[in-house]
Amino acid sequence: MNDSTTNVIELKHITKNYPMADEDFLALNDVNLSIKKNDYVAITGPSGSGKSTLMNILGCLDQPSDGEYWLDKQNVATKTETQLAEIRNKGVGFIFQSFNLLPRASVLQNVMQPLVYRMMPAAERKKLALEALERVGLSSKVTSLPNQLSGGQRQRVAIARALVTKPAIILGDEPTGNLDSKTSRDIMALFDQLHQQGHTIILVTHEADIANHCQRIIRLVDGVIESDIRKQQGELSHA
Amino acid sequence: MLKTMHIFFEASKAAMQAITAHGMRSALTTLGIVIGVGAVITVVAIMEGLSANITSQLDDLGSDMVTLRAYTDPEQEMLGFSNKVSYEDFLLLKSKADNVTDMTATMRAFSLGSSVQYGRSTTQTQIIGTDSSYQNVVHIYPELGRFLSESDDLKRRRVAFIGSSVAKKLKMPPDPTGQFINLSGDWFRVIGVAETRGSLFGFDQDNYIIAPFSTIRSLNGSQATDNIDIMFRPQSDASLTDIKIQMRQILRQKHKLLDDDPDHFEFHSAEKTKKQFASITTSVTLVASGVVSISLLVGGIGIMNIMLVSVTERTKEIGIAKALGATPQFILLQFLIEALILSLFGGVMGLLLGYGLASMVSMMMPGSSSVLVPLWAIGLSFGFTTAIGVIFGLAPAIKAAKLNPVDALRYE
Repeated sequence: MNDSTTNVIELKHITKNYPMADEDFLALNDVNLSIKKNDYVAITGPSGSGKSTLMNILGCLDQPSDGEYWLDKQNVATKTETQLAEIRNKGVGFIFQSFNLLPRASVLQNVMQPLVYRMMPAAERKKLALEALERVGLSSKVTSLPNQLSGGQRQRVAIARALVTKPAIILGDEPTGNLDSKTSRDIMALFDQLHQQGHTIILVTHEADIANHCQRIIRLVDGVIESDIRKQQGELSHA
Repeated sequence: MLKTMHIFFEASKAAMQAITAHGMRSALTTLGIVIGVGAVITVVAIMEGLSANITSQLDDLGSDMVTLRAYTDPEQEMLGFSNKVSYEDFLLLKSKADNVTDMTATMRAFSLGSSVQYGRSTTQTQIIGTDSSYQNVVHIYPELGRFLSESDDLKRRRVAFIGSSVAKKLKMPPDPTGQFINLSGDWFRVIGVAETRGSLFGFDQDNYIIAPFSTIRSLNGSQATDNIDIMFRPQSDASLTDIKIQMRQILRQKHKLLDDDPDHFEFHSAEKTKKQFASITTSVTLVASGVVSISLLVGGIGIMNIMLVSVTERTKEIGIAKALGATPQFILLQFLIEALILSLFGGVMGLLLGYGLASMVSMMMPGSSSVLVPLWAIGLSFGFTTAIGVIFGLAPAIKAAKLNPVDALRYE
């Protein structure tokens, strides 16, 4: 049913095991998954189900033990650390639960940071960063430091930082985990909006109402995909 | 190429931000290097300053001036023999030696002692008898009055040409010419005061009285005990070795020495003194530099220590940078440059500290007026600190570059 030419992500027989003292721990066991352009996916599951491991592999922070991972028509599983860094820089936008902003850098500097590694001229960097900040509604906080912002605002900065590189996929690892429910709703509304603008978004979450924002909910249990449900257009709840 | 430069520039900027974020810690980290380089530069600056100062004074003295004086073998000396260079030897050399511009004879005034009196003031000094050529050989020039003339010598006049210290110590009037000083009961009229020469190796070079050779010779009495120094300057294009060979031949013949007899005389030159002094300063500089290099090593280890702490402390930050696409090379370069900047900053501070300390020491040290930091010392300091930055920064930088992004991000 999925046309492979429009697949942004293709996982084929992905396995990840961590060597332990007596026996290996199998975090992911033969995972097969395709994600299309402009998909809005939630990966859920209980603790220790392999969500984070899958997230790290999708984000090219970690390499699978076995299998193939095609991101934007490149087989990531065979790349070197330097090539992976380039893919992370150009292909993936990360949003973390704890924001992971640089505390000593201003909002603008934080958003410009991925472009620094791309060796982009400073003027162009600034222009793109300001654009991204405008999209998340933080144009007025450009010179603030992260500790001068609320949690919701910090996460917006992180989202702007993920957007600034115009990545193929946006990965959110429990993006509302540190936020109160009202702020969570605001952030999710922002994700919904980004999805409508055509971004491919993958969120890892254990909260059902966050997962409910997505078109597609993948549930992992013990390193195996237990269910992969795609909602119909009408079922999309933008509560 | 452009990309490399860009990476370098961005990594330097990131490094500078990290350094200024912990200003105090960065400053303390560099302290080892500051002290190390400071100590090296202080020692080198003082030694070089002293050396330049002394060399220039020796040049003033005339580094090409040669003194010939009597030499007695220590064995013979113990047997009571004592060789002499006589006024006749001087006259013979003066008439026969080639390639010599000026030649003079000097004699100590034994009979007069060393005490000199003017009014109620008395001082100790060195009394030399010599002729008018002395001025050309030793390069002493009058500040006031005149030097000895040939007629002073011919007529055995009781006149004295005095060093500026003597005039000062005797509390003579601003222009002492025409005044009479008393040398052990004999009155001498002051005809001139010499230009001040300062001190060399801490010795006052202006504490002397010069009187005509013939006057001193007659006051010394018996000609049999004549023992003089002969001073001369070779012509500028002449070989000193050839001159010495010729003089040796003339004197050995005159002294009727057999083939295996040792010389009754020896040659001294300022050039020799200069060389000896240069070799002393070089060894002192080398030894001192070697010893203080150890503090540079300690400083380098200090930098490595702090950089390792810094990598651990900033693990999360490194994780974020990696997640956002920083390559291992970028991280490596950033931490390496950070170590390098710390080290070079320490080097610059050390250089300034060393120069300041050396200036202070030289101000307190009599007779040494200048400090000199030679370019090689600056070059060496920077070479050394760069090497320290790279060598001791490499291990922490590699550690940072090799961090696994997942583990680094998880680090709290």
